[in-house]
Amino acid sequence: MGFLMDGLDAEAYDRTYSDGDLVKRILSYFRKQSRKMFIAAIAIVCIAALDTSLPIFISWSLDALQQDLSVERMILIAVGLTVLASLSWVGNLVRQTFSAQAIGDVVLNMREDACDAVLKRDLSFYDTFPSGKIVSRVTSDTQTFSQVMVLTMDLLSRILLVVFLIGYLFTVSVPLTLLVMALAPFIIVAALAFRAIARLTVTRSRRMNAVVSSHIQETVSGIGVAKTFRREPVIYAEFEEVNNQSRWVNLRARYVFSSIFPILNVLAGVGTGALVYYGGLNVRAGDLTAGDWYLFIQGVILFWFPLTSIASFWSQFQLGLAAGERVFALIDAESRVVQNNDVQLEHIRGEIRFDQVDFRYNDNQQVFENFSLTIQPGETLALVGHTGSGKSSITKLIARFYEFQGGKITLDGVDVRDLDLSHYRAQVGFVTQSPFLFDGTVMENIRYGNPDAVDAEVLEVARKVGGGDWINSLPDGLNSDVGERGGSLSIGQRQIIALARVLLQNPSIVILDEATASVDPLTEALIQEGLDLVLEGRTAIVVAHRLSTIRHADRIIVLQQGAIIEEGSHEMLLVAGGHYAELYNTYFRHQSLEYIEQEQVGPS
Amino acid sequence: MLRNSEFTVPNAYQYNQSRTWRWILSHVLRYWHFALISVVSYVVGWIAFAQARVVIGQAVEVMLSPDVSGTLLNIALLVFILLATDGLCMLLGSLMAENVAVRFETDARQELYISLLGKSKTFHDRQRVGDIMARATDDTQQLSNMIVPGTTLLLEVVLGFVVPIAFIASVNLELIIAPVLFVVAYIVAVRVYLRKLNPAVKGQREHFGKMNAGLEETISGIEVVKASAREMFERMKFRHSARVVRNYFVQQGEIEARYLPLLLYGITVGLTFLHTMWIYQQGRIGFADIIAVMGLIAILRFPTFISVFALSLFQQGIVASERILKIVRTETDLDENAQGYNQSLQGSITFEDVSFSYGQKPVLDRVSLTVEPGQTIAIVGQTGSGKSALTQLVNRTYDATTGRVLIDGIDVRDWNLDALRSQIAKIEQDIFLFSRTLAENIAFGAPDATREQIEDAARMAQAHDFIMTFADGYDTVVGERGMTLSGGQRQRIALARAFLSNPRILILDDSTSAVDSATEDQIQQAIQQARTGRTTLLITHRLSQIRWADQILVLDQGQAVAYGTHDELLRRSPHYRRIFARYDAVLPPLETDALQPV
Repeated sequence: MGFLMDGLDAEAYDRTYSDGDLVKRILSYFRKQSRKMFIAAIAIVCIAALDTSLPIFISWSLDALQQDLSVERMILIAVGLTVLASLSWVGNLVRQTFSAQAIGDVVLNMREDACDAVLKRDLSFYDTFPSGKIVSRVTSDTQTFSQVMVLTMDLLSRILLVVFLIGYLFTVSVPLTLLVMALAPFIIVAALAFRAIARLTVTRSRRMNAVVSSHIQETVSGIGVAKTFRREPVIYAEFEEVNNQSRWVNLRARYVFSSIFPILNVLAGVGTGALVYYGGLNVRAGDLTAGDWYLFIQGVILFWFPLTSIASFWSQFQLGLAAGERVFALIDAESRVVQNNDVQLEHIRGEIRFDQVDFRYNDNQQVFENFSLTIQPGETLALVGHTGSGKSSITKLIARFYEFQGGKITLDGVDVRDLDLSHYRAQVGFVTQSPFLFDGTVMENIRYGNPDAVDAEVLEVARKVGGGDWINSLPDGLNSDVGERGGSLSIGQRQIIALARVLLQNPSIVILDEATASVDPLTEALIQEGLDLVLEGRTAIVVAHRLSTIRHADRIIVLQQGAIIEEGSHEMLLVAGGHYAELYNTYFRHQSLEYIEQEQVGPS
Repeated sequence: MLRNSEFTVPNAYQYNQSRTWRWILSHVLRYWHFALISVVSYVVGWIAFAQARVVIGQAVEVMLSPDVSGTLLNIALLVFILLATDGLCMLLGSLMAENVAVRFETDARQELYISLLGKSKTFHDRQRVGDIMARATDDTQQLSNMIVPGTTLLLEVVLGFVVPIAFIASVNLELIIAPVLFVVAYIVAVRVYLRKLNPAVKGQREHFGKMNAGLEETISGIEVVKASAREMFERMKFRHSARVVRNYFVQQGEIEARYLPLLLYGITVGLTFLHTMWIYQQGRIGFADIIAVMGLIAILRFPTFISVFALSLFQQGIVASERILKIVRTETDLDENAQGYNQSLQGSITFEDVSFSYGQKPVLDRVSLTVEPGQTIAIVGQTGSGKSALTQLVNRTYDATTGRVLIDGIDVRDWNLDALRSQIAKIEQDIFLFSRTLAENIAFGAPDATREQIEDAARMAQAHDFIMTFADGYDTVVGERGMTLSGGQRQRIALARAFLSNPRILILDDSTSAVDSATEDQIQQAIQQARTGRTTLLITHRLSQIRWADQILVLDQGQAVAYGTHDELLRRSPHYRRIFARYDAVLPPLETDALQPV
């Protein structure tokens, strides 16, 4: 009875598949499991047949008992009954085992396909869609899909049981069968009405729970402030009100859930009562045996349970299909990376040229138009400009994270689209603005850029950065765990590790999106020293946020709305008093020694 | 039950917190009338349900012996009434149980909440918000699920076994041999089953979580993955964990497929039928009794397959209770020290040979230091050097392991905790603002402050100007309609708060992200204003604040390696020189022999 309404938000890459296509697509996955599915299907039919024959067998036995009761017959009946029940159990064992294997493999295949598809995307995909939602498509949606498939398999044999049983009952007595079936619409209507009400109250109680959660969250987060100022009674009064409110809302929702089965039970009571009476009349008239009559009574129970499940099943089945649809949409989304050839350059000098490049992230956001730029081998180029001027876009195009729409980008004269992507990227070191670490040790993280490096090489590189001082402040040296996303380390330490990672990778080209987060002055000094090492002797493109980095660059490029408006050295541009001077006054002035040395005076 | 608590609610209901099951019981028994009605309803319901099977048996007797049709109608009506009674009793029983369930949930949440408010700051500093949230929301929800459907289903499982068997016994005592043997075998089989199933379920859940977290990590770090050309590696990592999940899934399916109790049940039906026929042949029971017994034995199927589900809900509820109780029972280790020293604070701070360990980990190592009232001390050091710990010893967030911290010459442990803390303001790195108006946030410590006082404080903190840029000014509600404040703005609101409460000692962890030069000017001015006339401990990334502090303390792995003014340290401390080296500043020559112990 799960109302799995979460995570149904649509994404831009979603497409609508017709039901036929969707089923075909799902079947194509199951086709690979055809042997297991075939066995499971046979088992399903067997179980339904056995479970139908069991009550029929009992009813025959009851009739037989009334005529002649020899010991042999009694034993025969008992053995028959036990064998039927045991066979049904075995059938179920076979069904569940094989369908678990088949569904397990189908879901595994879907997950693999989805993961492969995700990894093939260029970065514009990841910019647009939050990582949590992508992950939930690969893992949770497939999970929902598998649950629904399990449910479907369970239900199939029950539905089949109903069909078989009804078929048999018709041969016994048409009017009584119709009487049993007359119950069905009532059960279905009751179940559907219940669903509608339940959905409403569940939404309400979910909303209420969110209110309670956010209140507690705020209290716990701000408890320090509340305690310092002794505001506990006020906060408590607010909580009490919300909490009491949640009691009534939740109670109402739970009342609805608790009512459905008892009410359906009363309905079933009506059916049973009617059968007792009309069936009894038939028996008395000699149209029906007592055994048959008992079969009808049992039939109500056998009938009842599958019907209530079927009523609630349909919506679940649709949820399963929708989950499948979301996974397929993810798999089928088109990748935009263009790759024409797989040239592997042996020695990279590091000359990068942008030749009349056109680039936009999406249709209504043009970043570059006819953009040209030449970066000399070994040059350190600093990019400055306001947010949205195109600084990061230059670095991301060089790293081939995005596809440009027009013009040409070349490396040492070779079109980047002709280069083997993996080989090329191994030659480009990329330091992101907020350094990303993977769960694991410091050592593993440094080695990420060059998996073949031995421990000694990693250690050597780590010692180079800031003289290795930072290693001593780690609890276990290089074997320290960095925690989830580097959470156990400070931001400064993470930056140092990111630099060491690039040093070990030893690329010909370095791209650095300098971090904006401030770190303690001692660590900052270490980072600066590490940075000098990384930039030395390589073609370097730096999106600069630190004054000292800019001052040490060979050339500064000032960007505005995707165009170069000034270029030159720090001193030269400052003297010129143009855009750079303005940027300096806005972003960098307070990082200068003069600013630090100037004694602060409070507002008079 | 005497626990140090900083907050209590008068006349709050007292629950028994000594043991988990006693605690659960004391919650449930608070609503004993609901619980009682519920249990009675279920019992009556099940009896009616079983009785219906017996009456159906009697119907056969009536049909087969020629009689007036009126009796048949009466019997049919009786069957309906019994089944309807069953349905209505179930309805009443579960509604009453829901009352207990929901009240248990909200009461427990309230109990937890009160206890959280009563815990010290130390406790909250050590606890992660996410953990507490999980207790207060997920775990409390488990409690209501433990009652309905957990406990009610368990009750139905018991009744579903006991009532039909009792009815069978009333038909003929001998006939219960097979059903009773079945119940015994069933209990054994379920235990074996659960022992096999639990690891598979747990494994699947755990590895699903791992798979999820692994992919989440890959996608969050996709720039690094792609830049390092490690897609293949990440892909194999995912495939591996997806396969592990698949294997657990299949394993769970296979174990579930072998659920033995259902086979045992099938055999029991056969045996009971045989036994019934045997006694019937001997003429000890009638044909109606056979129908009744077969109807009753059919009922056993329900508890047989539902019990595992009911048990798991119940177990989850117990685990949740334990987790909640663990928080409630945690002792607060600092006491209020209400009889302690309670005077207005002057502001001198002395560290006497102070060492501090966090668990096994040494954080501070024999630090000695004297700060005069009104001085500003900048503390410099790498992460993990003990900067924060040093300040936490001053307001007794923690106590020193050895050595003493003195304020105005009095050991902080001899101060009245309230008096001490109310005169020390601490502005953390992560500044928390409540979802209230900015004015209320500023006046949080002084609810009686007038609007003029609030605005004055904001002006001193350089917050007035940016507050006025919001449409609602001081009445802007934090967090509403996406209204978020930057780190620098939050910091200035916190400074304004401090101006209103006017403490003698200010601890400022000033590590906000980089800002533009104009904002930097304002923050510098606000800090300057705040530290004037107060003893200030400053953890900062701002070099100009360090440069102009009265004294600078350099910490390295818990040790005070240098202490002095800017000019002294430039001459004496290699650590400190390193900071300024990259500014191409002209540094004085290093006086290596002048390194003096501090």
